[in-house]
Amino acid sequence: MTPNRHGSAVIEFPNDLEIVTTREFDAPIELVFDVLTKPEHVSKWFAPFACEVTECSIDLRVGGNYHIVFVTEDGAECSFRGTYSEVEPPTRTVATWLFEGWPDADAVESVDLHETDRVTKLTMKLAFRDKAGRDHMTRSDGQEDSFNKMEDYLRSLLEQKETVSG
Amino acid sequence: MARSSTTSDVFNAIAETHRREILDTLIAGEKAVGAIVNDLSMSQPQVSKHLRVLSEVGLVRCRAEGRRRLYRLEPARLQPFHDWLAKYEQAWNERLDRMDDYLKELQQQGEPQ
Repeated sequence: MTPNRHGSAVIEFPNDLEIVTTREFDAPIELVFDVLTKPEHVSKWFAPFACEVTECSIDLRVGGNYHIVFVTEDGAECSFRGTYSEVEPPTRTVATWLFEGWPDADAVESVDLHETDRVTKLTMKLAFRDKAGRDHMTRSDGQEDSFNKMEDYLRSLLEQKETVSG
Repeated sequence: MARSSTTSDVFNAIAETHRREILDTLIAGEKAVGAIVNDLSMSQPQVSKHLRVLSEVGLVRCRAEGRRRLYRLEPARLQPFHDWLAKYEQAWNERLDRMDDYLKELQQQGEPQ
């Protein structure tokens, strides 16, 4: 049996505008690519638990559009859409990323896959065009502004938190 | 008491490189302004200015000892960052764990033992 990798996603904020998430899967790269890009697969994992995917169309070619909608338990609709600018199965896709709730927060999402010994590493980079767009991320959680670049720093502080009297 | 300080103030306060350096040096423990100046090759007015911002949002606390003013880190004020990060990480982990489970399911179907 392969080890359970649950909870192992690593999230980094390399600069003001980018959020990078990496995660390994015990599966061959072709399968991971399909699960990321075929509607019949995406609809199985994309939406949070207890949310229902109501639309999932993916036209996987340069210039093609995707549109994914899920409805939350309390009826709120979350709609994501974009257009592919790079499609290189099974290693890479690049597409614009638009969340209907934040019309001015456009970003580019690149997905890269790399397989080593049947372990496929997924790297998803969400790059906002400007800081105003990125700031939606923080505002949506009741915060605003300027947290990304300090993420590493934060971790180091929090790790030491216990050793500092407070 | 600046009890109404918003968390966003804290975000802004630590967005500045020099202020982060000051917080870093205070991790080691309480320090006087002069010691911070020594540690960081910043001018005293610069350090004082940043310490004022950090005090205003409650990230550092100051006390007087004789003629010296000692500053220390106030770790509880970092909680908002921890909360935000934890929430974001949880959301992504949940999504990718679902994908992980689904991949396992597909592979089990594909390769019956």
